[in-house]
Amino acid sequence: MSDAKALQQERTEIFQDVYDNKIPKRVPINIAMGLEPTAQFGGIDMTSAQWKPSMVAEAADKLCQTVFSDVCVFSGSLRLPSFYQSVDSQSFVMGSNGFIQHPEVIGMDPEDYDYLIEKPYDCLLERVIPRQYKALDINDPIRMAINLTKSFTAYNNDMMELGMIRNKLVEKYGYYPGGPITAGGFTEAAFDFLADQLRSFRGVSMDVRRMRDKVKAACEALYPIVFKKGLPSSVSNYTHVFFPLHMPTFMREKDFAELWWPTFKRHLEEYASLGVHSRIFCEDNWDRYVDYLYELPTDTYLYFEYGTPKLIKEKLGKKFILSGFYPVGLLKTGTKQQVIDKAKEIIDIMAPGGKYIFTWDKNPLTINDINIDNLVALTDFVRDYAVYQNPGQKAGMEFNTEDYKIAPSKKLESKYFTTWDQFKSSHPEVSDLGEPKLQGLEERVFQFLMYLLL
Amino acid sequence: MVDLKALTDSVGELDEERVLNVLEDFVASSPSEEEAQKVVAACQSGMAIVGDLYEKGEYFVGDLIFAGELLTNAINTLKPVLGSSSSQKAGKIIIGTVAGDLHDIGKNIFKSMSEAAGFEVIDLGIDQPASAFVEKVKQVKPDIVGMSGVLTLALEAMKETVDALKEAGLRDSIKVIIGGNPVTKEACEQIGADAFTTNAAEGVKIIQGWVK
Repeated sequence: MSDAKALQQERTEIFQDVYDNKIPKRVPINIAMGLEPTAQFGGIDMTSAQWKPSMVAEAADKLCQTVFSDVCVFSGSLRLPSFYQSVDSQSFVMGSNGFIQHPEVIGMDPEDYDYLIEKPYDCLLERVIPRQYKALDINDPIRMAINLTKSFTAYNNDMMELGMIRNKLVEKYGYYPGGPITAGGFTEAAFDFLADQLRSFRGVSMDVRRMRDKVKAACEALYPIVFKKGLPSSVSNYTHVFFPLHMPTFMREKDFAELWWPTFKRHLEEYASLGVHSRIFCEDNWDRYVDYLYELPTDTYLYFEYGTPKLIKEKLGKKFILSGFYPVGLLKTGTKQQVIDKAKEIIDIMAPGGKYIFTWDKNPLTINDINIDNLVALTDFVRDYAVYQNPGQKAGMEFNTEDYKIAPSKKLESKYFTTWDQFKSSHPEVSDLGEPKLQGLEERVFQFLMYLLL
Repeated sequence: MVDLKALTDSVGELDEERVLNVLEDFVASSPSEEEAQKVVAACQSGMAIVGDLYEKGEYFVGDLIFAGELLTNAINTLKPVLGSSSSQKAGKIIIGTVAGDLHDIGKNIFKSMSEAAGFEVIDLGIDQPASAFVEKVKQVKPDIVGMSGVLTLALEAMKETVDALKEAGLRDSIKVIIGGNPVTKEACEQIGADAFTTNAAEGVKIIQGWVK
């Protein structure tokens, strides 16, 4: 067996052990960087690389040779200008330094709540998307159709290009082939979806006090959409639907408990009832919500930004897979020794008993955010230090699909989403062989349109 | 005349309906400008309560945003009776989101809370290069410069901005505060700012301390 294959086998084993509630040989390291810092690492202009992702292939290869990680050190990108700028995005915009980001934008007015609650998908397509994507103007239908096709095609092409670079590196260096960020599915909590691009952070903060009932009803109305958005096509113990969690730490507990949490908890439980696991990024500090987190399905993968590692480990360490907390900022400001001391401190708390994957609190966005020598020292240290003496032993609680009995949610209903039965009734001559093809396309278009709002 | 203490409490409780009802009735009673200034001060004291409750962990960022909106609505309601005389300002501060970063939620909260605390705030907006800070400092000669950013990349831009202020010979005449998700004590030292915070209410207290 080649060295790379042997390494890949070992890496697969340590990740799968964590997901199967066994103590692995050592703590898996999940450190990866996006397209932008990778381009800068290779001395390539960030904007050019975002328009032509294949430009970074060599830099990504060099990064993999430089930094140790158990996953491919190059993670690709979620946000590229080709599919945002071609539809004149207001919600994903390139800053003066070439980095695409999400400013505060409003895609839905308070007057739109009733329509959203009545026909959520129709409202998103007719009102929200045209506001956030000025080139998708429903009053200019032919240009809109052309622009949407360009964006959709650019998305598929660019993602494929990035996937090919990454897959090649995974095989070359024997990384854990478990998927990149969106492989298992990518969605949001219903409330966060309402907040991010529909009402905005500011808008939803107003609505919570001024029109609470409508906020609650909107979360219910959006639930089938965010549920469908994240639902993976196949179920595995080793893939996770990814949720970045945005609003909870900025809300009072009362508002969180009544408005944010119920649809989210149901969302994860409904996935669990199907055997689907979730990976949630607890942005900011979730210490005060630790008892709520405990209610989530066993083996949910909890990734933390800030907070108290000891508290989280003690309360949640047996039931969940934990990750995060390492302060990425230290890689810029600390000495090598400080970087290592911090890693030791976190590992000594988080690693005992298993169910732990090492990563930083958030990804650096540009190469200047970190000192690469410090990063090399960090991951080399973790690899050599975070070793278990009792691999193979049981690590914690077992996940059982049967523990989650939940009535299936309402299916998405909209004149803009055609089910196979609907298609068949209007085209009775169709062959059943058309089903996977046409339903597949219907799904892909749904996925893309909702991706524009995530 | 309005029950000023009750008004302050209503603002502190973020009871928008009650605050606006009281202010509308007050405006309808054709008050003097002096009375109107007292009402403004009562609203500002209510904002200080909001800040304290935020620091105690009873309010959160969403509440601060709502508080800012409430205060803006309150002042707009009072505008017809406020007249044109400007009250004494606590100090002058230039704020902005640094180059490369397009986020402004935190900056805007800090802005409304600083204004409520009596500061004159000049807001440069988002994605502002170091040169924009330098030019504005030369022009308006503020007491304080506040730099904001949410992304990790903002730290680099903050350092560049402080360096540019130094180069222009302006650094010694101002205090610099940085704020936003990625700022830390270590980052603050490296950037060369005088203070850092991830908490708008605390930030206001820091700048109040500087202009005393």
